[in-house]
Amino acid sequence: MLRLASKMAMARKGRLVLTSLAIILGTSFLSGTFIFSDTITKTFDRLFTDVFRDVDAYVRSSSFIEVPFGGEQRGSTPIDALPTVLEAPGVADATGDIQAFARIIGKDGEPIGLDNGPPTFGGIASASVAGLWTIEEGRLPEGPSQMVMDRASADDGGFTVGDTVRVNAQSGSREFELVGIASYGDISSPGGATFALFDQPTASEFLLKPGNVDAFLVQGDGSMSQEELAASIQSRLDPSLKLEVLTGARIAEETKDQIGQAIGFLTTFLTIFSLIALGIGSFVIYNVFSITTAQRLRENALLRAIGAERGQVTRMLLVEAVAIGVVGSLLGFLSGIAISQGLKALLAAFGGEIPSQGLSIAPSAAVITIVVGTVVTIVAAILPALRAGRVPPLAAMRDTAIETVGTGRTRLVIALVALAAGGAAVAASLAGADNLVLGLGVMLVFAAVITAGPLLAKPVGLGIGRPIAALRGITGSMARQNAVRNPKRTARTAAPVLIGVALVTAFTAFAASVRTQVRDAIGEQFRGDYAVSSPQQGFGGLPVSLADEVAAVPGVTQATGLGFVAVKIDGESRFVAVIDPTSASGLVDYKMVQGDQRSLDAGGILVTQSRAEAKGWALGDVLDVQLVDGTERPLAIRGTFDAEGFLGSYVVNQEVFAGSDTTLFDQFVYVTTDGSEGVRDALFDATEARGLGSLQSRDEFIDDQSGQINQILALINALLGLSIIIAVVGIVITLLLSVYERRREIGLLRAVGMTRSQTWGTVTWESVITSLYGAVSGVALGIGMGALLIGVLADDGISAFTLPIGGTIVILVISFVIGVLAAIYPAWRATRTDIMQAISTT
Amino acid sequence: MYGHGDNEVRALDGVTVEFEQGRFTAIMGPSGSGKSTLMHCVAGLDSLSSGSVTIGEHELTSMSDGDLTRLRRTQVGFIFQAFNLIPTLSALENIVLPLSLAGQAGDQQWIDQVIDTIGLRDRLGHRPSELSGGQQQRVAVARALASKPAVIFADEPTGNLDSRTGHEVLGFMRRAVTDLGQTIVMVTHDAVAASYADRIVFLKDGKIAGEMLAPTPEKVLDKIKNLGE
Repeated sequence: MLRLASKMAMARKGRLVLTSLAIILGTSFLSGTFIFSDTITKTFDRLFTDVFRDVDAYVRSSSFIEVPFGGEQRGSTPIDALPTVLEAPGVADATGDIQAFARIIGKDGEPIGLDNGPPTFGGIASASVAGLWTIEEGRLPEGPSQMVMDRASADDGGFTVGDTVRVNAQSGSREFELVGIASYGDISSPGGATFALFDQPTASEFLLKPGNVDAFLVQGDGSMSQEELAASIQSRLDPSLKLEVLTGARIAEETKDQIGQAIGFLTTFLTIFSLIALGIGSFVIYNVFSITTAQRLRENALLRAIGAERGQVTRMLLVEAVAIGVVGSLLGFLSGIAISQGLKALLAAFGGEIPSQGLSIAPSAAVITIVVGTVVTIVAAILPALRAGRVPPLAAMRDTAIETVGTGRTRLVIALVALAAGGAAVAASLAGADNLVLGLGVMLVFAAVITAGPLLAKPVGLGIGRPIAALRGITGSMARQNAVRNPKRTARTAAPVLIGVALVTAFTAFAASVRTQVRDAIGEQFRGDYAVSSPQQGFGGLPVSLADEVAAVPGVTQATGLGFVAVKIDGESRFVAVIDPTSASGLVDYKMVQGDQRSLDAGGILVTQSRAEAKGWALGDVLDVQLVDGTERPLAIRGTFDAEGFLGSYVVNQEVFAGSDTTLFDQFVYVTTDGSEGVRDALFDATEARGLGSLQSRDEFIDDQSGQINQILALINALLGLSIIIAVVGIVITLLLSVYERRREIGLLRAVGMTRSQTWGTVTWESVITSLYGAVSGVALGIGMGALLIGVLADDGISAFTLPIGGTIVILVISFVIGVLAAIYPAWRATRTDIMQAISTT
Repeated sequence: MYGHGDNEVRALDGVTVEFEQGRFTAIMGPSGSGKSTLMHCVAGLDSLSSGSVTIGEHELTSMSDGDLTRLRRTQVGFIFQAFNLIPTLSALENIVLPLSLAGQAGDQQWIDQVIDTIGLRDRLGHRPSELSGGQQQRVAVARALASKPAVIFADEPTGNLDSRTGHEVLGFMRRAVTDLGQTIVMVTHDAVAASYADRIVFLKDGKIAGEMLAPTPEKVLDKIKNLGE
């Protein structure tokens, strides 16, 4: 049987190629994701092993706050403790280290480095061997007006030793003399980050706070192990300083882990999309197996007639599936290498440039890809194989391969049950059940729609085809009939389009709603004429002194800054919005439900009404707020406000942080002016011209902020693009098989006067109807899902559902184009049908 | 001629034949005699390696695929042994298919006359799968007639029918020539079917092996026997 299976498979190489293609596409994204994350993980591992090569111990604050997406913010280390460390037995050398936000401004006034790319650091350059930097050219910086920078930044900005360089950091925007150029280990710039380096006192004062560094890097004298060295230092440190000592190996490991965690989020995100792609691919595989077994009906019936058992026919097809699955997944794994490069380029296009050296392929990536691909193929082949086994031997005498279409009652019942169960799960999650229930509900609704597909395909397809038939005459009406003549096949072919379109529509609807919401929220809360916004998110931003500098610009009547800081509230990590209530008054307008925004003093906090209700907080309740350096700040609730999402769920006075080690940045500076001529130019000179954020008018700012969700949407759509490609390939395969199956009919049509272009038109319109059928049902499902998502997120401040009319039209137009494109090759094949062969009766 | 080069198979070799307007001609010959090839060539379905084909004043040999296709729509009708009809179209749609492809309405009065002649007016809305084999072939005849072509080519039109239904279909073809003035060329190996024709052309090994006017089944069978020897 094995030999027969392989012979029969080989006899139809074209079909084999088509089936493999579906598997290759389905698995390549998965393997691409694996290879991509392996590669960047390895790159970072190598980098940090390198960086901490000479560090035997690492002294840092033991107080920290975790921030979302795998990071932490830590308290500072007083430089005063350095002599103690230097005196500890086993220590050869030690130096302060800072990795804080600093932005080098190029000669053209544009900051060096990407806005959302690798971080831009400021740090310390010291002569200590434990220091991370080596001076390549020039000398070490000395005093408050000298700096060095990394080789890559110097090359990028065209700087040479002796140049005057502007740097923006926490304490403001200053100019320095470039006295040297440094390299980091053997590399000119680690991970594409930029570095502005100063002597320790300047770095502390400019980047953090005078007297503070982030950590000490310690080099041992070789007399003891790293563990003993760490213990030796720890025992000498004053416990009240709350410092901890780690071995060099440990800090390298921890840094790798943190990066690994960040990469992990990315990998999970990508894996979700690759699984979607694989799921969609499995539909295509299932469809191809279904069609080919139907077309092989006679062949299988003949086998049965001459004595093959049911099981043998089924097994033969499964053996074929295993072979195709293994080969397809292997090829998919190999094409994953190309995909991994594509992913890198894609992320770079969205501003997330990731350094990578070479290519790293873990054996597990190959094993997982091939196993998953093969299993999916086998699962997709089971039903068709069983169906093939059930072929009555008599079918050998029959003529054509028509797939049986049942009454559909069972199908309808299953679909309705799934729909009801899904609806119930969704309702439950809306009523507050776990998000897992929501996921299950959505899956069930998808299952219901797909199960009902064969029942829907005919009426919906006929409906969509009506205008085409009316416009295109006989070719259109034949295309319409062809599209629905096998509803099961049409539904299966359209299913990948349906799923892809539903997801795209849901995200588009979601994004449209968020956009509207953000637009409304900013419109209400932001009362200024201009805004300066920092491109940085999470790390760094605008110096808090900028608001005062802007306020002093002639023509400016009021200016205030708004920033975000991570703190712990009742033990949980949270970002709080930081404002200056005096200058913010009338400019940043929180919609207060209780209390007064102006009453926000250094001992107070504002929370959203919904959060207060959820937590049972009342006005005057004191929240236990812990700052990054471990300082406790009991803050009393002074008021509650409505509409969150944009300006934070918690608001505090900037004075809360006075005296702590917290580094403060503003994300935005809001400005009102007297409207005098030239005020915008003056503002520009004070901000953007110095590389400090970007200056926007009120309308520009609102457009920009509400449009930020578009970037995420574009990324998601780009990732879903692969699923769409698989869907297109699915249509191509089905059309090819249909054209092959109908070659006689096409030959007859050509004989009685159908031109090649009419033949092309018929296949193309059939493809368009199939694609639009998937798109229309997908859009309907997607809008429903989008509305649901908004409903679930209602508690998080997004409530109004906006119908994405423009987006929907774009999706339908794209689906139309997809239909036309998918038909190109099958239509070409159809026009090449040999009339003689097709109509010959033997 | 058919085929080329040293290994050429001469499916048709030096055949010169004329089919007169308004007559029913049958082409007969044993399997492999080239009768189907002859029909395909003169119908513009297949190309010649040398020689020429003319339908009315149209010279087929130099025509492009598009021109040939358009010629087939209006000047040529076809009736095949099986797979004559498009399964997704109704009987009426099948009948007017060549006209629809040409984007023409056709001569409605003529089409009505044709439909009445084949006697399937009450079945026009049915799909081919809902029609019997004989009815399907009658629809095929009607389609061939619908565009009032210069010539209708029929390739074993009764090959898949039982003899009674076959006679019915042949009767219609005969009437299309006698009553409606059409021109039919039919390929067959069935002596009885051939006897419906006005004239029979016999082929053997790609060459003309005789002609017969006013045939009867007996005469035809005799001739076939002679050819076989």
